Amino acid sequence: MTVRRSSPLLAAPPAAPAKRWCCHAFAILAALLLVPITAAVALFVRFSADEPVSYPDIERHFMYGSTGGERNSGFPYWIWQVLPKVCAQYLPGEGYASLGMIYERGRTLPVGVSMRRNLGLDRVFLNCAACHSGTVRDTPESEPQLYLGMPAHQLNLMAFENFFFSCAADAKFSADTLIPEIDAQAGKLGLLDRYLVYPVAIGLMRERLLMLRERFKWTLPQPAWGPGRVDTFNSSKALFNFPSDRLSPAERIGTTDFPSIWEQGKRKMRDNGQPMQLHWDGNNTKTEERNKNAAFGTGTTPPTIDLVAIGRIEEWLLDAAPPKYPYPIDERLAARGAPVYAEYCADCHGASGQDFHGARVGHVTPLADIGTDRHRLDSFTPELAQNLGSVYAGYPWRFTGFRKTFGYANLPLDGLWLRGPYLHNGSVPTVRDLLEPVANRPKSFCRGYDVIDRQKLGFVSDVCAEGARQYFRFDTSFEGNGNAGHEGKAYGTDLPADEKAALVEFLKTF
Amino acid sequence: MQAAKETELEIDPLAPPKHRWLWLALTLVIAAGAALAFIGWYRFFREEAQPAWVTATPEMRFKYGSIGAERDAGIPYWIFYVLPRIFPEKLPGPGGYASLGVAWEQGQELPIGFTKKTIGFPRVANTCAACHTASYRSRADENPTYVVAGPGHTLNLEAFFRYLIDCAKDPRFTPDVLLTEIALVTELDWLDKLAYRFLIIPMTKKRLLEREAQFAWIYRKDFPDWGRGRDDAMNLTKYFMIKASMDDSFGPTDMPSLWNLNKYQPEKGHVMNFAGDSHDARSVIIDSALGVLGAAPHDRQDFLAQVAWLHDYLGKLPAPKYPFPIDADRAAAGKTVFDAHCAGCHQSDRTGTRLPLAEIGTDRSRLDSWNKGAAIEANRVVRAMGIARKGLVEETLDGYVIQFLDGIWLRAPYLHNGSVPTLRDLLEPPARRPVEFLRGYDVYDQEKVGFVTEGPEAERVGTRYDTQQRGNGNGGHLYGTDLSGADKAALVEYLKTL
Repeated sequence: MTVRRSSPLLAAPPAAPAKRWCCHAFAILAALLLVPITAAVALFVRFSADEPVSYPDIERHFMYGSTGGERNSGFPYWIWQVLPKVCAQYLPGEGYASLGMIYERGRTLPVGVSMRRNLGLDRVFLNCAACHSGTVRDTPESEPQLYLGMPAHQLNLMAFENFFFSCAADAKFSADTLIPEIDAQAGKLGLLDRYLVYPVAIGLMRERLLMLRERFKWTLPQPAWGPGRVDTFNSSKALFNFPSDRLSPAERIGTTDFPSIWEQGKRKMRDNGQPMQLHWDGNNTKTEERNKNAAFGTGTTPPTIDLVAIGRIEEWLLDAAPPKYPYPIDERLAARGAPVYAEYCADCHGASGQDFHGARVGHVTPLADIGTDRHRLDSFTPELAQNLGSVYAGYPWRFTGFRKTFGYANLPLDGLWLRGPYLHNGSVPTVRDLLEPVANRPKSFCRGYDVIDRQKLGFVSDVCAEGARQYFRFDTSFEGNGNAGHEGKAYGTDLPADEKAALVEFLKTF
Repeated sequence: MQAAKETELEIDPLAPPKHRWLWLALTLVIAAGAALAFIGWYRFFREEAQPAWVTATPEMRFKYGSIGAERDAGIPYWIFYVLPRIFPEKLPGPGGYASLGVAWEQGQELPIGFTKKTIGFPRVANTCAACHTASYRSRADENPTYVVAGPGHTLNLEAFFRYLIDCAKDPRFTPDVLLTEIALVTELDWLDKLAYRFLIIPMTKKRLLEREAQFAWIYRKDFPDWGRGRDDAMNLTKYFMIKASMDDSFGPTDMPSLWNLNKYQPEKGHVMNFAGDSHDARSVIIDSALGVLGAAPHDRQDFLAQVAWLHDYLGKLPAPKYPFPIDADRAAAGKTVFDAHCAGCHQSDRTGTRLPLAEIGTDRSRLDSWNKGAAIEANRVVRAMGIARKGLVEETLDGYVIQFLDGIWLRAPYLHNGSVPTLRDLLEPPARRPVEFLRGYDVYDQEKVGFVTEGPEAERVGTRYDTQQRGNGNGGHLYGTDLSGADKAALVEYLKTL
C-alpha cells in the first residue's frame, strides 16, 4: 500500500521537464491553432447568421420586412442589383421599375423586397407588399402617391418571373459575367466572396431558378397576366408538382387581380356568425391559411416561414383601414346614390365601405347567377382542395379550410376606388363600365397606368404609353379574360344613367 | 493464486479502488449504450397512440383509425408525402394521390382509409375504409358525400399498388432526391436526417421492391387493368397470403359494401364473398385485414380486438337511404314486380346462398381465380398465426352468391365484376347492355340508378371499362330482361327504396 502511495512521488521528478515540454508544445499548438480557430469562428459567425433587416414601424415592416422567404428563395443582394444590367434584354425597360416595382426616393430596393442576412450573404426576396402596394397619380404630371394594402395594379409579376427564368437560362448568368459587374457596382469583392461564396451562390441560384422555370412552364401558353394579376392556384399546383401538361384544359388558366388586403378583422364575421369566404371563389374561411398560402408566393416554405414577422402584418391588417378617397365628392349626388346602393348592392357587398353587414356578404354566389368568367373557378379543382389539406403537415397550423366551391364570393367594397380594374379577373376597367351591360363594356383597354379616373372610378384605361413606357393591353376576348357577368337588372346595369352616376359617386365614399 | 489473494487482502479500504478509470469507462460505456438503445427504441419502435379526434366517433375510427398495418405495410410518412411531388408522372393523372380516386375529405391531411401513426417515426398505412368508402354527388357542381362501408367505386387500387413499386424502381428514389424534397415541407432534426438517409429510405426502397415479385400479375400485358372500383381479390390472397406462384387466372371484382354484415347468418347457410368463398363475416374481416397488414399481426390480441370492433361496427351499420326523391306510387307498383320476379332469389331463403354458374350465367373468371387447394392453404396459414376462425370454404365452388340488396342504389356498377353500369341497364338483355363505359365518376344517375358513365368530367377521372376484355363479361343474370318498359321503370324505382 505504501508503495502505491509513493509511486507518484517517485515519478514526479522526471515528470517536471515533460510538463514544461508539454506546455511549450501546447503554447505552440495554441498559437498555430489561433489562426484557423479565429477563421472558423469568423466563418461561423458569418454563415450561421439568420438576421432579417427589421423595422419597428409596422408600415416599414410591411414594405421592407421579411416573411422568411429569403431563407429558401432569396437572391444575394448584389446579384439582384446587377441582373437588370446583365440581362437587360429580358426587361421591358430600365431596371425593376419597368416591371412596375415601386422605388421610394433614396432606397436601393423597391417596396415589397425584403433583405435578410442568411448563409453568409444579404439575401433579398419579395414580401407581401410587392403584390399589395400601389401607386396613384392625380394627373399625369403629379407625383405618384404610394398606398399600402391596395392591389399592386402596376406590378407585372409574370414578367418579373420570366425575367429571372430567362436570365438564369442565359449563358451570362455565370460568375464570370456577374462578379466583374458586382465589382463595378459594389466595389471589389474580397477573396472569400470572389472565389467561393459568390460562385457557389450563383450556381445555386441558377439551379433553383431553372427548377422553378420547369415547374412554372404552364404559364407559357397562358395569355399574358399583364400588370396587377397572378394565377394563384395553378402556382399552388406547381408547388405540388402536378404535371402541368396533364391538367385538363378547363383548369389551366386562373389569372385574377391582386386583391386589396385591408380590414381583415371584419372579414372574420359575416351576418350568420361564420367567417366570410375568402379568395375570389370563397374557397377558404380562415384568414391565417389564406395568408400562409399567399406567403408561398414570397418564397416561404413550411420550415422557413417567419411566422413572427408575418404575425405582425396579420395583426396590423385586422384593422388597417383603406385610405379615404382624397378628391372632392359631390355630396348631393352621392346622397342620391346611397339608396340605389342600398337597393341593388348592399345585400351582397355590405351596408357601406366600413360596414360589411349584409345577408349575402362573404357568401358565394353560384356561377350560373353571377355569370362572370369561369376560368378562375375551374382552376381550383377538387383534387387541389384535397391536396391542400396536407400543406403544413406536422405543424399545428396545417391547412384544414380549403373547400371546392362553385361560384364567386361576394366581397366587401372597402377602398373600392383603389381596386380597379374590376371583377375577379380585372376585365372591366372602371366601376362605371361595370354598370354597363356586357355589350357596352370596353373590349380591350390598357392596364398598369396609375392615373386615377375620377369620373368613372378606377384607373385611366385609354392611355397605353407614356414616354418610353408601354402599358399592357388587356384583351377581354382572350381565354380567362372574359368581361361578362355581374349583369342585368339585379346588378344595376339596367339603371338610368343619372342613377348610375349617383351610384358611382356614392361608391367613392367607400 | 495465493499471491493474488494476499495482495487483495493488503488493499487499504480507504484507498481509491483499483482500476477506477476502468470502472468509470465501463459505466460510461454502459450509460452510452443504454442511451443509444433508448434513442434507437424511441426513434424506431416507440408506439404513439393516434390523436383523440381519430377515435372520437365510431365513424371517424373506421375512417382514420389504425388497424395496426403501419408496422409492416406502413410507409414512412415523409416519403409517402413527397413521392407525388417527385414522381407525378407515374400517377394516373395530375392531383397527387387524389388522382387515384381516393375518398379524400377536403380539409383532411390524408384520404379516408389512410392512417398516420408514429411507430418510432410517423408512418402511413391503410385500413378497410380505403376500399370501402363510397362517394356520390347529385350533380357536377357539388362536393361529394362520402358513405363509409360503401363500395370504393372511385378508387384505382391497382394504380396505387403499381405507383409505389414504380417509384421504388426509379433511379431517382434516392436519399438525396427525397431529402431535398422533404426539406421543402418539413424540418427533420439531424438524427432523423441520418435515419432517413441511411436506414429509412433504403429500407423502404428495398421493401417496396420486394413486393414487385408478388405483384407480377398486375403488370401483365395480357390482363386488362382493374380500373376504378375493382380489385383482383382472390389473386391478392393467393399471391400475398399463401405466396402461391403466379398462375394464369384473372378475376377482378367490384369492391363490395360492408354495411349491415349481421344480415349474413351462417346458421341459415349464408356464405360470404362473391363466390361464397368464406364462411362468415368475422373470417372475411380477418382475412381482409391480414391483407392490409401485409404480415402476421405483431400483437395478436390487439389485432383480434380490432377485428371484433370492426365486426361489431359493420354488423350493425345500416345501409344508407337513397338520398334523392322517390316516386312513391311508381315504387309501390315496382314492389309488385319485385315480388313477382326478384324476391324469389333476393328476398328469400336463397338469399346469401350460392347460385350455380350454369344458372346465373355471369362471367366465370372470378370463380377460376380461386380453388379448394388455395382455401386449405390459406386456412393453414392463418391457423399458424394462432388465429382461430371458421375461415375459407374448402370446396370447389361453382357459382355466385345471391346478393342481399340493401343499399343497392349505391352499389353500382352491378354484377360481381361491375360489368353493368346501372340497374336499368341490368334489366336489358346482355346484347343491349353497354359494351364500353366509364367507371369511377361519382355523379349519380337518378334515372337509371347508378353513376354517370359519360361526359367530359367522367372522361377526366374515369377509367374505361370494356366488357369484351378478359374477366369483364356482362352476360348472365337475364332475370327481368323481358319485362315491359313500364315495369322496368317501376322496378328500378322500387329498388331505390332498399
